Amino acid sequence: MADCGCQHARNNLEDYLHGELPQASCGEIEDHLKACPPCNDEHSVGIALTQKVKSACCESAPEELKTTIVQKIQAGS
Amino acid sequence: MSVTLATVAPQPLGLDFSPMEHSEQAPGSTSDLFVEQALPHADQLYAAAMRLSKNPTDAADLVQETFLKAYQAFHQYEQGTNIRAWLYRILTNTYINLYRKRSTEGFPAALDDMEDWQVGGAESLTQTTKRSAEAEAIDRMPASVVKDALHSLQEEFRMAVYFADVEGLSYQEIAGIMDTPVGTVMSRLYRGRKLLREKLADYAALQGYDTTGTKGGTDHG
Repeated sequence: MADCGCQHARNNLEDYLHGELPQASCGEIEDHLKACPPCNDEHSVGIALTQKVKSACCESAPEELKTTIVQKIQAGS
Repeated sequence: MSVTLATVAPQPLGLDFSPMEHSEQAPGSTSDLFVEQALPHADQLYAAAMRLSKNPTDAADLVQETFLKAYQAFHQYEQGTNIRAWLYRILTNTYINLYRKRSTEGFPAALDDMEDWQVGGAESLTQTTKRSAEAEAIDRMPASVVKDALHSLQEEFRMAVYFADVEGLSYQEIAGIMDTPVGTVMSRLYRGRKLLREKLADYAALQGYDTTGTKGGTDHG
């Protein structure tokens, strides 16, 4: 068979990663990832990307900003 | 709540836009509830505002404006629904209103229709040995590089990636925030992540990480 499931898996990896695949399809993908190192590596890159973006974008709002917001809201403006 | 409506001027459209200044004697009311429910999301809104405006001053202005608008519209917020998604919607609209006036660019949408993301992963099916190195390289990348790469993406790609990957929001929720169909969110997210990955790979190659073969310093980016 020309397509051993890789193409199908690749097409669905993003949705799988983002928790948007139906449960039934998840099992299929997971089975494939276990059996196919290249697809599993591809999935690892996807996960690494998500984790990296997540950890990079974690600025905290300045405390003065929070204080100002609360003051303005309580002052009704 | 015992709000003294009698002291308040007629309100347009039922929006409680201005009466709060009259209610300082009723501290246990809307303002407290709003602060309690919305303010804990200030950090996340600020991080999102940084992705939109790319600088701390504008981000702070944007967040402040967003909270004030959200407060004015708080009665429209449906208790029990995702307040963060609701706040992001307001943030996005506020950003468009504030900054579209300054720039004629706005949210460029011309690339939305492109669908090469559908075949996006296919071209790399053969590069099997490089991917574990790529994941490691991404892992080691400095946060500033990742942020710069993200900021270099077109806005709608950048924000789709942000909402999905940083905030963990569903396609449906992102569609609500960005006011687009779910299919558009998906294509923005796929394209955004693909572009981001390419930019990080370029950076990794410049740093000499072995993710794209042994091209060394050749000009391939």
